[in-house]
Amino acid sequence: MIVDAIIANIEWLALIVIGGVLISWSVHFVPVGGAPAAMAQATGIGTGTVQLAAGAGLTGLISAGYMMNVIDNLPLILASGAIGAMIMISVTMIVGTLVYVYGVGCVPASAKVKFDPLTGDRQDLYVSQGTEGHGLPTVCFVSGVIGGGLGGIGGSLIYYALMKVGIAATSAMTSDVVGLVAIFAVGIFFVNAVIPSYNIGGTIEGFHDPKWKKWPKAVVSSFVATIFCALVAVVAISQLGGL
Amino acid sequence: MSAGGAGEEATSSYSPQTMMGIGIIGGLVGIYLGALLSPTHPVLSFLGGIGAICAIVWGADAVRRVASYGLGTGVPSIGMIALGMGIVASLFGLSIGGSFAGPIVAFISAATIGAIIGLLANKVIGMGIPIMEQAMVEIAGAGSLVIIGLCTVITGTFEYSAVIENVVAPGYIAMIFIFGGMGILHPFNANLGPDEKQDRTLSVAIEKGALALVVAGIASAINEGLEAAFVTALIGVIIWYLAFKKYFEFVKRDAHKVVGTGMLPTEEELQ
Repeated sequence: MIVDAIIANIEWLALIVIGGVLISWSVHFVPVGGAPAAMAQATGIGTGTVQLAAGAGLTGLISAGYMMNVIDNLPLILASGAIGAMIMISVTMIVGTLVYVYGVGCVPASAKVKFDPLTGDRQDLYVSQGTEGHGLPTVCFVSGVIGGGLGGIGGSLIYYALMKVGIAATSAMTSDVVGLVAIFAVGIFFVNAVIPSYNIGGTIEGFHDPKWKKWPKAVVSSFVATIFCALVAVVAISQLGGL
Repeated sequence: MSAGGAGEEATSSYSPQTMMGIGIIGGLVGIYLGALLSPTHPVLSFLGGIGAICAIVWGADAVRRVASYGLGTGVPSIGMIALGMGIVASLFGLSIGGSFAGPIVAFISAATIGAIIGLLANKVIGMGIPIMEQAMVEIAGAGSLVIIGLCTVITGTFEYSAVIENVVAPGYIAMIFIFGGMGILHPFNANLGPDEKQDRTLSVAIEKGALALVVAGIASAINEGLEAAFVTALIGVIIWYLAFKKYFEFVKRDAHKVVGTGMLPTEEELQ
């Protein structure tokens, strides 16, 4: 019974694993400053990886779920999820920048690069002594939006695939299926948001940060971990058909 | 920067084995008693919540031991991964475990996923925390027991169909997710520092577990009636009061001095 469920849903299993890997990769793009950034002593948004990834990713899940309610078209659902997550992370970063500039009174500056790779603006002159940069320079903002988009696509891929498993099992889109699929998507999302946060060790500025090159380690870990999570999720959702 | 933890092993007065015993045995006994006795009277489903509190205390102790090494990222991340693994494993366990073996299957599958993620964290990512594998097994196991315990409070059983209908479909599962995560991550997050003491941290874990019991009790009103909901919530409030009182005693014991700041000065006194 269990093996049948897995074989019948092998393509959705693959989609879930791809989604998990995308989420894991996306976290490396998000400018996470952690506790130091909350005191404007490091570049990035002043909270942890998990909170940021969850905030943006879960918004992506909601917008993907909304789209899936109306239409069964994978590209549109993925686009909806990506846009939702990108809007959420952009709003977080804009408000963060406002607070850093007008509240704390520091200029956005990166301590990891001398010139902003996108605008070419000088950075090191503006970094306050004793800090590792502060605020969100343009490159961090762009990187964060890319991260939000990838995370949103990953989250909606998982949601879409699990939803397909659920609909195949029960042949209807009931609140049982939606509830179960949503909580599984959230669970897998959190697992894949925490693994890369251990990889980057709490803070990262974006794709220009030297730590960004460590992403293959987190992606491999997430790949393995998501396979197991996906297997149990698919089996549990397939059991809905027998209720 | 390493957020939280001195980068070394935590000192404990209760050994990890004791805490594991409390968590596994207390958790499973609570869940089974709650599920077996609640048909006789719906009020007795609160026993599942007692099991959840045991598991929360165990999980908080495991978080305390692993986060003392310094995770590099905040302590909340480990509570979220605990419940992420726990929720996937517990619903899987309940779905294939049938009407009796559910919690045990869930616990074993959570421990397996935890072991895999612990191994990946140490071997692939290279976190270099010696107890990472064991701690991940414990945290995932505790997470799954917390979820099943609180589900038992709400539905009075841990059968898959009942849990889906009464906990997952109405969305209470999201509340269980966050409350269980809070119970496991918050105690160490609130108490960490050089003077962190095990008993003080764990008293916060009991207090958080009691709050989860109160909320699960209120949620159980829809399924088990107002009387059972009221009794469960009342038991939760009593445990919360006792645990918080104990916590405040520990705070006063560990503090150099506790002084009152008095009332805010009135406008006349300021002039």
